[in-house]
Amino acid sequence: MMELWAGHGAAEERGLERPLRTGKGGERAVARVLVVDDDPSILDTVSSILTSEGYQVMSAAGGEEALALSRTWHPTLVLLDMRMPVMDGWAVARAFRESGSRVPIVVMTAAENAARWADEIGAAGHLAKPFALDELIDCVARHTVDEKPN
Amino acid sequence: MSALELTTALTHAIYVLVFLLVLPRTLRQFTPAHFDMTLFFGVVALIILESRIMPLLGVAPPAWVSDMVIVLFISLPYLLLRLVDDFTRVPAVILRLVELGLLAFAVVTVAIDARPSAFVTLGIVAYVALVSLYCAVRIIRAAHRALGVTRRRLEAVSLGTILLGADLLAMGLMAFLIEPERTMVDGFTQLLALGSAVAYYVGFAPPLVLRRAWQAPELRALLTRAAQLPRLPTTLDIVRELEAGAAASTGSNARIGLWHEDDLVLRMWEPGTDELVEVKAGQFIAGRAFERQAVVYSGDPQKDDPENAARYRAAGVGAVLAAPITAGGRRLGVLVLFAARPPIFAVSDRELAQLLADQAAVILESRALIDHAARVKAQEEATRMKEDFVSAAAHDLKTPLTTVVAQAEFLERKALRDPSAPPDVPGLRRIVRESKRLAALVTDLLDASRLEQGRLVGEREPVDLGALVSEVVARQHPGAHVCEVDVRGAVVGTYDRRRIEQLVQNLVENAKKYSPDSARVRLAVWQQDGEARITVRDEGIGIPASDLPTIFERFARASNVDDRKFHGMGLGLYICRGIAEEHGGRIWAESELGKGTTFHVALPLREGRRLN
Repeated sequence: MMELWAGHGAAEERGLERPLRTGKGGERAVARVLVVDDDPSILDTVSSILTSEGYQVMSAAGGEEALALSRTWHPTLVLLDMRMPVMDGWAVARAFRESGSRVPIVVMTAAENAARWADEIGAAGHLAKPFALDELIDCVARHTVDEKPN
Repeated sequence: MSALELTTALTHAIYVLVFLLVLPRTLRQFTPAHFDMTLFFGVVALIILESRIMPLLGVAPPAWVSDMVIVLFISLPYLLLRLVDDFTRVPAVILRLVELGLLAFAVVTVAIDARPSAFVTLGIVAYVALVSLYCAVRIIRAAHRALGVTRRRLEAVSLGTILLGADLLAMGLMAFLIEPERTMVDGFTQLLALGSAVAYYVGFAPPLVLRRAWQAPELRALLTRAAQLPRLPTTLDIVRELEAGAAASTGSNARIGLWHEDDLVLRMWEPGTDELVEVKAGQFIAGRAFERQAVVYSGDPQKDDPENAARYRAAGVGAVLAAPITAGGRRLGVLVLFAARPPIFAVSDRELAQLLADQAAVILESRALIDHAARVKAQEEATRMKEDFVSAAAHDLKTPLTTVVAQAEFLERKALRDPSAPPDVPGLRRIVRESKRLAALVTDLLDASRLEQGRLVGEREPVDLGALVSEVVARQHPGAHVCEVDVRGAVVGTYDRRRIEQLVQNLVENAKKYSPDSARVRLAVWQQDGEARITVRDEGIGIPASDLPTIFERFARASNVDDRKFHGMGLGLYICRGIAEEHGGRIWAESELGKGTTFHVALPLREGRRLN
């Protein structure tokens, strides 16, 4: 698993276009979004919205689950809640980076210091809860710009 | 000049010196004690003068002079007794008896021309010895009760009195002796006289150096404690310590009156009754010292402050020494030293009183600064708590709101794009569920706010707690938890039904929240010791003992509860306690980690009865 991650990182460093492609015939891959939040309602809502927008979506109720999923599923973007039990957003982000992943992370929090926290973990952006529908859709689109959903 | 003569001369010189030191003080400040002191040493000086002048003139003293000297001699113990009476009460009957004795012996001395008979001489000797002994005993006892400088001085006086008594006794006995024993005893009496003179000098007119040396240990003790005093738990503790310190340093009783700027009064514990009294500036001797910002002494407060004579009499205060407690122009209060009788050495206490008052001012001012700092800190803490509360409330409200906003907008867009599409039931359910969660949060916040204003509990009515608890349990969603209710007899009291329901519901939900799905929640309702009792017992994760005292506080969460695993702001138990306490009841918890928790509620069965 580790080699896979390393390979992914190395590919990016070489400045290649996103190496992850699915299907045959060079068809552009569908962006994969991993949503991590301990609140099941938010998880379900965000997942259903993004699914309907054409993304491949997986949801994780905690950090351990998110990491396990990432190893096999390689998300294009991670939407990460910061305040979670057992393993909080900071720990999850650190684990991602330590495993060599450079997947962009967007911080999703109800706390006032969303921007600062995003900065702290080197996130690509942040979404302050509660967010409007278009805020969510635009944010995800912006951070998956190379892999527009079909 | 022989050694004996030198001793005599020295003794005489010292006695006359004491008289000369005491006299101006009496003229400056007339008190019974000073007068009696002067009288005693005046008589001694007179006797000495006579014994010095007559040989100088080279004439034999006339008979009346000899008689007068003898009468003066016999009067010495009586004068000493008067002095003793001035600072420690001597029973009137003893005073009268001694006066009678004095009169009798004086008459005998004057009436009989010839040398008095051995019988009379023996009587006089016995009289003198007995009275002196009595005086010495009284002074020793007074010294034992006194403290500090006063104690040392009284000890010196008692020693002087013992020596003087022994001297008078020896001189009286000399009449029965013949040479050479007479000369020997004479030398002995001279030494006794010198001893008494030195002791009296030390006691009645100690040089400043000696007084300072005696004050030093008391002051040192006070100063050693001074650094810690401002840190005592309350200002009252400090006042009590300062009072004790001042009392020890001056050998009198002490009270401190603190100035209350808002009410313009000094508050202090009244001597005698020990009730808290309010004294206006200018009122009583204490108020005068405060008003004038100067030490005020009264050796007769009933005369000096006739308006309050009855109060002084009732409290048994016969002398007052008051000094203002002022720090850098800020008038903090007054130090009052008082005693049943005018202190025999009051003058030397003036300076000391001001010194003690100044020390008290520094300590009380430090305390005021510490209190001020604590108040500022508490205000900051309160502001921070409020900000934390708003921040925590906002965070907890935003979480369900996120689902409501995004999901509702999403449903709207879907409906607009494809009006014929079937409704998104799971999405709608999410909105309903999260809206309810929001509503519950808002209710809790409002309850917490009402609780802070003490108006959580409203209209009361007779409530059967057994039935109420059963209803609350019946209303619970049928889930994996098993709720058992044990109602032991009718338990009816007057309560706010809605709030008691909320209390029970909160406890049941709490029990379910923190226990595994298959666990039992057992409720019991019964009556005990005139109280209604409800318990809610769970088999949950338990609460660490260290958290038990604080779980009922606002935003409190047991430390083993991860605040992100369990929803809620930590207001549930806070509201529960508010409901119980506003009903005049109480709530508490027992717990064993990993085994479960039992919440106990006790409510009064009759309205208005407050439980301990």
